[in-house]
Amino acid sequence: MILLSNEVIIFLFVESLLLLLLSIAFINTLSIYSKWDFNASTSLQYRLEKRAYLVVLIIVVSLGFKILLLPYFSFMIDQLSAMVPGAMCGAGVLSSNEYGSTLLSLKVVTLFLTGAWLILNSEDIKAPAYPYFKIKLLLFIMIYLLVVFESALDILYLINIPTGAPVACCSSIYGAITGGSPLPFNLDITRILILFYLFYLLSVVSSLARYSFLNTVANLLFLYIAYFAVVYFFGTYIYELPTHQCPFCMLQAEYYYVGYVIWGTLFLGSFFGISAFILKLIIKRELSYMYRLSLVFNTLFVSLVSVYVLVFYLKNGVLL
Amino acid sequence: MPNKVFFNFLFLLIFRHRSKHIAIFIISTLVVILFSSVMLLSHAIEQDAQASLSAQPDFIIQKMHAGRAVETPVEWLDELSEIEGVSSALPRVYGSYFYTPNAEYFTLVGIDLFDRQISESLERLVKDLDVKDFLAQPSMIIGSGVKTHLDKFYYKEHYTFRTPAREKREVSIYDSLLSETNIVSSDMILMEESLARDILGVDEELSTDLVLYVPNELEHDNVKEKIILLFNNIRVIEKEELSTAYAQMFNYKGGLFLLLYMVVLMTFILILYQRYSMISSSDKKEIGILRALGWSVNMVIRLKIMESLIVGLSAFVLGILLAYGYVFYLDAPLLSEIFLGNANLSNKITFNHSVDFGLLTLLFLFFMAPYISAVLIPVWRIAITDPLEAMK
Amino acid sequence: MIKIEHLNKIFNENRSNAYVALKDINLHIKPAQTVVIKGVSGSGKSTLLSIIATLIKPSSGSLMVDEQMIAKLPDTHASHFRNVHIGFIFQAFNLFDELSVKDNVAMPLIVSENRQERIDKKVLEAMELANITHKKDQSVHNLSGGEKQRCAIARALVHNPHIILCDEPTANLDRENSLKFIEILKSFKALGKTVVIATHDPLFDNLESVDRTILIEDGKIR
Ligand SMILES: Nc1ncnc2c1ncn2[C@@H]1O[C@H](COP(=O)(O)OP(=O)(O)OP(=O)(O)O)[C@@H](O)[C@H]1O
Ligand SMILES: [Mg+2]
Repeated sequence: MILLSNEVIIFLFVESLLLLLLSIAFINTLSIYSKWDFNASTSLQYRLEKRAYLVVLIIVVSLGFKILLLPYFSFMIDQLSAMVPGAMCGAGVLSSNEYGSTLLSLKVVTLFLTGAWLILNSEDIKAPAYPYFKIKLLLFIMIYLLVVFESALDILYLINIPTGAPVACCSSIYGAITGGSPLPFNLDITRILILFYLFYLLSVVSSLARYSFLNTVANLLFLYIAYFAVVYFFGTYIYELPTHQCPFCMLQAEYYYVGYVIWGTLFLGSFFGISAFILKLIIKRELSYMYRLSLVFNTLFVSLVSVYVLVFYLKNGVLL
Repeated sequence: MPNKVFFNFLFLLIFRHRSKHIAIFIISTLVVILFSSVMLLSHAIEQDAQASLSAQPDFIIQKMHAGRAVETPVEWLDELSEIEGVSSALPRVYGSYFYTPNAEYFTLVGIDLFDRQISESLERLVKDLDVKDFLAQPSMIIGSGVKTHLDKFYYKEHYTFRTPAREKREVSIYDSLLSETNIVSSDMILMEESLARDILGVDEELSTDLVLYVPNELEHDNVKEKIILLFNNIRVIEKEELSTAYAQMFNYKGGLFLLLYMVVLMTFILILYQRYSMISSSDKKEIGILRALGWSVNMVIRLKIMESLIVGLSAFVLGILLAYGYVFYLDAPLLSEIFLGNANLSNKITFNHSVDFGLLTLLFLFFMAPYISAVLIPVWRIAITDPLEAMK
Repeated sequence: MIKIEHLNKIFNENRSNAYVALKDINLHIKPAQTVVIKGVSGSGKSTLLSIIATLIKPSSGSLMVDEQMIAKLPDTHASHFRNVHIGFIFQAFNLFDELSVKDNVAMPLIVSENRQERIDKKVLEAMELANITHKKDQSVHNLSGGEKQRCAIARALVHNPHIILCDEPTANLDRENSLKFIEILKSFKALGKTVVIATHDPLFDNLESVDRTILIEDGKIR
């Protein structure tokens, strides 16, 4: 039944269009990959070069749409919460069956690789003689397979959302109701916060000093800890309620959609930080703008969440 | 890269190929108008319904007898208000009154002017009311739909109701209600509670139903369980259930339409694809010249994508604006009848202007994704035109 | 400096309608030279110019311009090369009729220039050189043949290329305008441009401003 909801219909419609386009690109990629020889002056090679434009065009456009679709996906499940009994935000809908969280992580990973592909592509076009052409195609083949898998999961997930029986929502998924510490490695909130700012500092230092490997590690750790810090600490200041621990409610209009900004900056910051190293391995030189962007987005993210705490403290004179 | 000359040139190209674009533009606009007016309308109706719902109490409790709801004892309230988490519990008196001249049912609602009101809009209304004046004689406040019907038979000042025992009760019309939430209240008549009891024939110790307010949403499940344990033969209606049911109903109505509409969209894609795949020799020459002047294939692709994007986007914007006007200024003739039927008292309904960012994104994706998908391959084909065409 | 070695061009290679348009071309053109390529229709003049301009790729052989191998550049780079080094004058002018003269002249700069003032300045200079400034806001379809030619020349000069390729530049001009074009050729020389002209117009025979005449026949240099 949930498949009849407007948001879902449009989501699936756009996803299948993109899948169709990407499949066209994929088929072309296979033939280009097997016959590509840049040094040949045959008309076959020239035809392949022309077809490569189609492949790149399709990939850029559909990956662009994919980037739009991730926030749209969170918007959609947030909307669906109105139709799923018991769910008050995306968290309830996402965890209403066993596919949800896998699907979301898969989407984030795909988006990550997509971003890397777009950067690799622009570097490839800038250099003469298509130096990263084959790696680019391989990466695309990988992304394509993930996208196919993701589409299957999309369907599985959506048809399995229950609309009859009530589901649990954020209060019981993340909240203290369930008992036991939800935080990793038996850390408490204070330690999480110390680590949070520590890893942030580490990422700042390593990106200023252009230690690409250290920067990747720092960003990975930061991403991991930041997730918990936002859900279990900073989020409660956004909601101004110590028991409200949820990564999704902040996406709602009541909180001025600030969740999109928070998760968006965190994603971008980590993306540039982590992929700077990976791309450096491929193209064998530093892309300094990656470090800069990583720094900018991480800093934006950290200041934004910290400001919520600060403002709360200034207004109320106490912490939660 | 994009500079004045580029845009000059871009618009020149659009103008040059106007015969190709104009048909696409018109079809696109129609496509957008059709689905966006349906979506805007269903969204507006849903918003309206949800808005009036949000003012509703968290629980409604009815006594059941032989599977039908019957009048509920007011004394139950004592036990109900004891339940932890319940902030207040109130009786409600309302019912249908058959209006003979037009064979219509009005909804009579009794209000206790000195207690908390059952909805926020009522609360506001009562606050602005001159209670002394209102109670000086039997008075009522009527919804816009009721007013139209009473006006038809020249009941301008008052109307005479009949109690179940066929006694006459003359009630003067104090005011007519501004239709804030149209759908719900146009057939409503508000009057003082004891008067309503009189006309509807509801005893002092009974009420139509009971309502509970439980501010903390997390408590709802607990409270519901306790209510059910407290009494036999009752029905408990939870606000969230209603809201979910509403959301499902409206959303699925729109969804069914969207599903059917996909056929139209597919046809549209094919037309678009065909139209833009026609490459004339002058198109080829144009591209050949650009390539000879140092434009790369990528630049030409960008130019051509922008060309069709401008056509598509302007059709989208125009379509949305027209649909907006149709739904919110013309009140969606034809469509609103399909959506609402004629069951409602007032046939003329005005919708609150409600468009949100999410809805626009939805409409945008639904139109732009197929549009861009359809032009990609034609754009590529023209961009890889052999630049030798310029030499001919 | 243009250096062509063992260059072949086969159209529709490996198909039944394959056609060998250029055969083993070897040609060195020195900087600031004016070279005329003569030959009957279908002999391969335009094909040769297109290859020098990187509009098409040779089937084999090498092409160097200023010590840079350009025969196999990917399109983005070939286009950039064309945009920096090559000015093109076509037989059919190939202007956009609905655009004004100055917008036509600005066309090659769209790709390379961002600042509008720079574009305006360069366009004005080029129009002065080609003596068409007085018509700068006219749209091209109002111009006479000679004026169109001068507009095309301004466009070929606007990005200050050092190689100018002309394909049958006088084929659509009357005698008077053709003579004017030959005058302009001299000014190209004065500017230090390398000029390659493909033509079968006898007007270009024995001109003192022409440094070299090459005869091409059935895709081969005689
Ligand atoms: N794209 C193509 N496919 C197949 N054959 C071609 C193509 N372009 C040119 N040719 C052939 O190559 C030969 C050389 O053509 P080219 O245009 O270079 O001649 P030209 O010397 O410029 O002649 P003209 O004086 O008529 O312009 C011609 O026989 C022509 O038919
Ligand atoms: Mg020719």
